[in-house]
Amino acid sequence: MHPEPDTVLSIRNLSRLYKDFIALDRISLDVKRGEKVVVLGPSGSGKSTLIRCLNRIESHDSGSLHINGQPITARTDLTRLRALVGLVFQDYNLFPHLCVLDNCTLAPRLVRKMPRAQAEALAMRFLQQVNIAGQAGKYPIQLSGGQQQRVAIARALCMQPEIMLFDEPTAALDPEAVSGVATIMNDLAAQGITTLCVTHEMRFARHVADRIVFMDQGQIMEITPPEQFFTNPQTTRARDFLNQMIG
Amino acid sequence: MTSLMARFRRLCAARIAVAALACMLAGGNLARADTPRLPGFIHDGTLTVCTNPTLPPMTFVNGTDMKAVDGIDMDIAHALAAYWHVTLAITTMDFTGLFPSLAAGRCGLVASGIIQLPQRERNFDAVAYQDTALVIVARAGTRPLGGMAELSGRKVAVQAGTSYSARLAQENAALVAAGHAPMIIQQYPTEEEVVQQVLIGRAFALASQDVELAYRREQLHGRVGVIFTPPYPEYRHFALYIRKDAHDRALLEHAIAILRDNGQMAAIAQKWAITPDATQALGGSAPAPAFRWGTFFGALTSAAFMRGAFITLAVAVLSHLTAIIISIPMALVLNGRESLLRTGVTAYVALFRGAPTLLQLLFIWNALPQFLPFFREAWFTPFLATWLALSINESAYQVEINRAALAAIDPAQALAGDALGLSRGQVYRHVIFPQALRIALPPTINAFISLLKTTSLASVISVQELLAVTQIQVARTFEFTEYYAAALVYYLAMVFFFLLVQKRVERRFAWADQYGAGTHAS
Repeated sequence: MHPEPDTVLSIRNLSRLYKDFIALDRISLDVKRGEKVVVLGPSGSGKSTLIRCLNRIESHDSGSLHINGQPITARTDLTRLRALVGLVFQDYNLFPHLCVLDNCTLAPRLVRKMPRAQAEALAMRFLQQVNIAGQAGKYPIQLSGGQQQRVAIARALCMQPEIMLFDEPTAALDPEAVSGVATIMNDLAAQGITTLCVTHEMRFARHVADRIVFMDQGQIMEITPPEQFFTNPQTTRARDFLNQMIG
Repeated sequence: MTSLMARFRRLCAARIAVAALACMLAGGNLARADTPRLPGFIHDGTLTVCTNPTLPPMTFVNGTDMKAVDGIDMDIAHALAAYWHVTLAITTMDFTGLFPSLAAGRCGLVASGIIQLPQRERNFDAVAYQDTALVIVARAGTRPLGGMAELSGRKVAVQAGTSYSARLAQENAALVAAGHAPMIIQQYPTEEEVVQQVLIGRAFALASQDVELAYRREQLHGRVGVIFTPPYPEYRHFALYIRKDAHDRALLEHAIAILRDNGQMAAIAQKWAITPDATQALGGSAPAPAFRWGTFFGALTSAAFMRGAFITLAVAVLSHLTAIIISIPMALVLNGRESLLRTGVTAYVALFRGAPTLLQLLFIWNALPQFLPFFREAWFTPFLATWLALSINESAYQVEINRAALAAIDPAQALAGDALGLSRGQVYRHVIFPQALRIALPPTINAFISLLKTTSLASVISVQELLAVTQIQVARTFEFTEYYAAALVYYLAMVFFFLLVQKRVERRFAWADQYGAGTHAS
């Protein structure tokens, strides 16, 4: 298989084991630059494990992973990989001892050795993009969940990644905040940033995704455009899943 | 008491007569300037004399300068050094540390008003230099005793670690054998505490020797008197102690004989013996004021107390900083996976948290040099030994504080750092440690305050920290309340200062407080 030239992410037969439990079972997927891929599936289907393998917060046991044509292995420089692939956590995991601005500037200053003034200018740009610049001086504990999520996104963007991974970004948000995150993702795609997002929020998935990846028991069951997935899923498992989620 | 003094004066008068004669003869001898042969306990031209300066007039701090040890023993030490043409170095320490230090080679000679006893001579060589007698002393007006048996069932105070306590125990065995109740023997670390027990009426009598009591009378305003002098033939001489060496012993005996012959011993005895005027003053016992404010404020503002407080502070701060630095990697190991290293750290914590701090201090100072000669050298000062002992001891406590604080940080924080591309070190330095610090700070300050007070143990190995200074001043003046109060003021001032620091630092952790944070951020 030869991935197309604008393929940013290429996954082949990727597997991940926890002792005798197969978390990922021969996953294969190509993602194009600027594409928005939403991964759906029941709990324990391996969605989070998959995206965590993409920046090696977890490591795969077999198969191959290429980003921008470069193989990702145990020898990969993690600092460079993670500058390329940003990750936003479900629980945001902001640093509580740093104000919003410092949360955003920490990694650019430490990892990219950026002077403070430059890092702050960069951070303010991304904080404005996610519409939270007014809170730059506050500490995470003073912000609502939706605000914290936006700070977490800005923090990841400050490393100027080419790929952004979202691990259930909407799980703890109210509907208004969910649509805010969707807007941000569309913005990112417009800037050429590729996004992979794990979610349980069907409306969000349908609104954001270019393609839906449906997973079950560590395997990809189907990859389809959202309209088709939500109206006419190809697999019985997907149909059952949708019935459960909607019904 | 009067007979005692008479004996003293007789002794001195006789010595002076001999001395005058001897001086003339000795002058001729010295003129020949033949350098005497040096004993083996003199190293590099220095005679190191160890003493516990709480026994006037034998050895004590005669003023507020803590370094100026004075007394008969010190005068003899100076005379010996002059005779051998060597430098004199005086090391002060707790009484119980004297013989271990001599054995460890830290002292060449111990001169500390110690009785010559056969059981001591089994391990060390002794050379007598001053006559004395063991006496039983009680409050003025107490009826004199007919014999030791009359002390049956009474409380008798005695200085710990001295031969008197052993001798009294022997007396008790005889009392019990004869069907009497034994004496209740109370042991105190310093002589002035022993006297104080009698003064405040807690003990009926005390056992000590006549030389000190004669000197102490001035301070005591005639409030105590000798009620019995037991016929112990073995308690007759103060002796200088050295490590066992027949050759050295002969040289020391010879040197003392020379000092005796040339009149120096007599001059020293004359200098320290009570004058007839002082004996006269014994009759009138002016009651001491309840609290001498002058003494109290004098102590508060004295250089000795400030220096003592500074040493206390320095020992505590250095030890705790060291403890924190060594306990951080240990805490990380303890929070990590099962390994041989983790077992080792667990054992370290168990050992040093389990053993009493005082025991650790004594072990490092007295026992360590016995199998590691490296620690016998001059660079290993009591201050360093205390720093070492307290750092190790404190680290065993601090590691638990650090471990708990690190374990309290959500593992997702490290994950978030990883995801941003931070290195392991950066994650600890910028993400985990600042958050753990907030949790660890209050118990750490608590532990530090506790440590600040634990430093007083260092007086045992001759570190002149605040409590050691206090005790030496009390030994000199008998003004317990005033010096204790001054020490208390110093300790409280230091503790309150650190509590204030804690409050200030906690204000910097406003990020953890939803409402407080608003005032900090703007």
